[in-house]
Amino acid sequence: MTFEILLQTLASGVLIGLIYALVAIGLTMIFGVMDIVNFAHGEFLMLGMYSAFWLFALYALDPILTLPLTVLMLFAFGMLLYKLVIKRIVNAPMLSQIFTTFGLMILMRGVAQFLWKPDFRSIENSWVAGSVKVAGIQLGRPQLVAGLGAVAVTMLIHAFLTRTKLGAALEATAADKEAAQLMGIDSHRMFSLAWGIGAACAGAAGVLLATFFPIFPEVGANFILIAFVVVNLGGFGSVTGAFWAGILVGVIEVMGGLLLGPEYKTAVVLVLFLAVLMFRPQGLMGKA
Amino acid sequence: MQARQQRRTVIQALGAAMLGLGFGARAQAPAEVKIGVIYPLTGPGAAVGAELRSALELAADIINNGAPGITDLPFSGGKGLPGLKGAKIKLVFADHQANPQAGATEAERLITQEKVVALVGCYNSAVTATASQVAERAGIPFLNPESSSASLTARGFKWFFRTTPHDDLFVHNAFDFLRELEAKTGIKPGAIATLNENGLWGTETTKLQAKLAPDFKFNLVKQVLYPAKTTQLTSEVQTLKAAAPNLVLQSSYTADAILSMKTYKELGFSPDMILANNAGFTDTDFIKTLGKDAEYVITREVWALDLASRNPLIKQVNDLFNSRYKINFTGNSSRSFTGLMVMADAINRAGSTEPEAIRKALAATDMPGSKLIMPWKGVKFDATGQNTLGQGILVQIIDGKYNTVWPFAMASREVTWPMPKWDQRK
Amino acid sequence: MKALKIIVGLGVAAALLPFATDNPTHLNLAILVLMAAQLGVAWNLLGGYAGQVSLGHAAFYGLGAYTSTMLLLNFGINPWLGMLLGGVMAALLSLGFGWSCFRLKGHYFAMATIAVAEIVQIVFTNWDYAGSAVGLTIPMDKRGWGAMVFADKAPYYWLALGLLALTLLATWAVERSHIGYYLRAIKDEPDAARSIGINIARYKQVALSLSAFFTALGGSLYAQKELYIDPNSVLSTALSIKMALVSILGGVGTLFGPVIGSVVLTVIEELTRTFFGGSGRGTDTIIYAALIVGVAVFYPSGLLGGYREWQQRRKTKRERPAEAMSAPVREANVEEVAP
Repeated sequence: MTFEILLQTLASGVLIGLIYALVAIGLTMIFGVMDIVNFAHGEFLMLGMYSAFWLFALYALDPILTLPLTVLMLFAFGMLLYKLVIKRIVNAPMLSQIFTTFGLMILMRGVAQFLWKPDFRSIENSWVAGSVKVAGIQLGRPQLVAGLGAVAVTMLIHAFLTRTKLGAALEATAADKEAAQLMGIDSHRMFSLAWGIGAACAGAAGVLLATFFPIFPEVGANFILIAFVVVNLGGFGSVTGAFWAGILVGVIEVMGGLLLGPEYKTAVVLVLFLAVLMFRPQGLMGKA
Repeated sequence: MQARQQRRTVIQALGAAMLGLGFGARAQAPAEVKIGVIYPLTGPGAAVGAELRSALELAADIINNGAPGITDLPFSGGKGLPGLKGAKIKLVFADHQANPQAGATEAERLITQEKVVALVGCYNSAVTATASQVAERAGIPFLNPESSSASLTARGFKWFFRTTPHDDLFVHNAFDFLRELEAKTGIKPGAIATLNENGLWGTETTKLQAKLAPDFKFNLVKQVLYPAKTTQLTSEVQTLKAAAPNLVLQSSYTADAILSMKTYKELGFSPDMILANNAGFTDTDFIKTLGKDAEYVITREVWALDLASRNPLIKQVNDLFNSRYKINFTGNSSRSFTGLMVMADAINRAGSTEPEAIRKALAATDMPGSKLIMPWKGVKFDATGQNTLGQGILVQIIDGKYNTVWPFAMASREVTWPMPKWDQRK
Repeated sequence: MKALKIIVGLGVAAALLPFATDNPTHLNLAILVLMAAQLGVAWNLLGGYAGQVSLGHAAFYGLGAYTSTMLLLNFGINPWLGMLLGGVMAALLSLGFGWSCFRLKGHYFAMATIAVAEIVQIVFTNWDYAGSAVGLTIPMDKRGWGAMVFADKAPYYWLALGLLALTLLATWAVERSHIGYYLRAIKDEPDAARSIGINIARYKQVALSLSAFFTALGGSLYAQKELYIDPNSVLSTALSIKMALVSILGGVGTLFGPVIGSVVLTVIEELTRTFFGGSGRGTDTIIYAALIVGVAVFYPSGLLGGYREWQQRRKTKRERPAEAMSAPVREANVEEVAP
């Protein structure tokens, strides 16, 4: 185990962690604003991947180019989903909400298979293909771009939340829905917005992921557990928490896999996660 | 058990009699022979399931409607099963969704509701385990064309038959190849590492590899297991890199096979050779997705198109398959096709749809290799229900195609070894 | 007492079902319904009555299945005894579980349960002695009630029915006892409960241990029925979710809710796969999922809850027609979302 390999692994861990962070940010926003755990979040990721793929396959447009379009489409889709389904269960018991998003998860996977068949797709020769050597470490260009993209999106979301009126309204609703309503902030508009942003973030992660990860209807399943762990670790509702927790989880997973054996890499993450929950139940940056 | 079978037979007879004209009475041969087919048609594995389904439908269609010009293939006259007065094959498909309990439930339903005379399935070894369990309890013949877990024929079942070779043989194939390669060309495998998914298949393969390596005097330096449903393979590849093997033996499903190749390239991991174990590496999507990055990989297979030069039947049937479904056979779909053919042949020889008669006929199967589209010596089952005349082959991906490189007697080209390093490829 | 008569009547009818139908597929479907119902009722002890949503119950299920199977295969221990021991093992595991996780709130607790169950699955996947990913096969050579292995479906049916009855009985006993009383207090007003001195952790643990025990028994039954277990079939998160789903669909915190939920869910799942699964397009999955979403959205208190509300509304309409027509009655805890 040379130093070079350790460093290399660390770098890879950070990069994949940034993707985890991006997926988790959307999830944590939805939870923070409306207290709903979205089991179907992995499917937004999947849709983002398919969107990037079809735009590439049919119109030869690189995913980096079509990223904004996919993000917009998924934003709209998220809001639509809110209006059609989620709106009705906003005040339902937690179990019903779990039930609903779980059903949506299966539904979206089923529709994806129905429409696009279960074959594996991939985007080859995108603009970001290949790898680079940075300070002696070999990094895949897609992963680098994806990582940078994740940082950019996180900063955008953070700026939105802290510096715009709409963002402030969103935070207010997350903090205290009733009080925000009393001040004239329409909860349902905020929920719809949160859902749209959440889907858009996952969609963005999907586009970035699609430049190096195979695309198939069930791909969401690979990411959803990790996303949940990241959200919990960072603290439900905290965007910065999700960001740092994502990176942490990525690094722990990869390093843990290297040092203890890849078959245990998820277990390492989960054990650490449980340990944190025991001693700091609200997560790293969640509200106590 | 006997009473139950007799009772079922009586009920079936009455039922058939009541149906009247269309199906005729039990005493005469039925116009239709129902065979239950259980495969992963949705959920994980659906991509493969769809291909297997196409292969089975083709086989049934050939038996029922003929394949003009392909005279060597059994039943190519297309008049149904002559031994049952021209009865046609009817496939009843069921989806197991890679869930063993669902597979068992479907087997149950096919046997008792659909009244199939036999079952064929299930691709996933775990599902084959439970579905064949149901068949064993019900006394219905079960033919398994693709599942490779060795334990399936170690259960002492009487109604279970498997045409494909199993993992034990496949690992032997890989090791035999390496030994013969060294003898022929002097190329040594060097330090060997294994990278296997940690499901049923990969775990069994890992154990077999560990057992065989010392027998062959190979130097096994590292065995890595990983969860197939993963988001990244960095830890795995780094672990391999740290072990610095010359040869990597790999067992992966499609998504992880693709991901691993990309990760090898990304992390600059260039062993002398990657010797894969079928599954993901022979999936139609593998070369399609990776393009040039898939080149030079050697994988164990069970079938290859270039074997047609030795057995024209292979090309003829593949052309037919391709003309309908726009894809070629793979090792998986060709085995499913063969499995149905073997089952049909047994039912035909039995001359009846009685389970025991079919079972006896299956046990007595002796199909020569010339009648198969597989590169096997034939199909002949031993006491455990395992076909002893099957074997694997090894193919190497060159110019976007699978080329047979072993057994050397069947090879269409020489092995290219070592693989060019990533940065030395165009 | 009308309810009791109905229950007894149904119970007798259920016990006689194997004599009414000779069709193994129908009987098998009934068994699947009973098994899923039993798991739902067991889950409900913790999820419905104690209000702690666990999404990791498969850990107990798998532990039960593996314990009885490993004891049988490695030590020749009779499955009946093995089943009980499996239940005990699960209850023991639940102690560690509760101690470490009960202070977590709502969603955090649910996530912790998922994490624990996933860890247990990973452990078993890589544990050679337990068969790792290859799984364990129970031989069929010994059959009959002594060995709990049967060629016919009917004995499995009675086993499943018996286990369900036992679990229902336990739930009913808890509901009626002081434990149930305290659990209701803990679920509805935890602060008030604590203020009058109820040891919340202890009672939650009782509910959890019982829940784990019965879930494990269900796992052993699965092992003896299918005769093959592997980590995917008895320890997956999907299974955990199904156990919760069955209760949610039928109505949490009610005695028979999970049974109703199981009937609907299992029947729909099996029927959609039977009729649409063969095509491979995935239509059965879509229908099944759409139904789940539909029920979740329109019947948040489950089918049983929905039925009771409907009954309430009818009753109120009959008794106070004038009032009922001017102001719609809304029962239960479902707030209406302002449009």
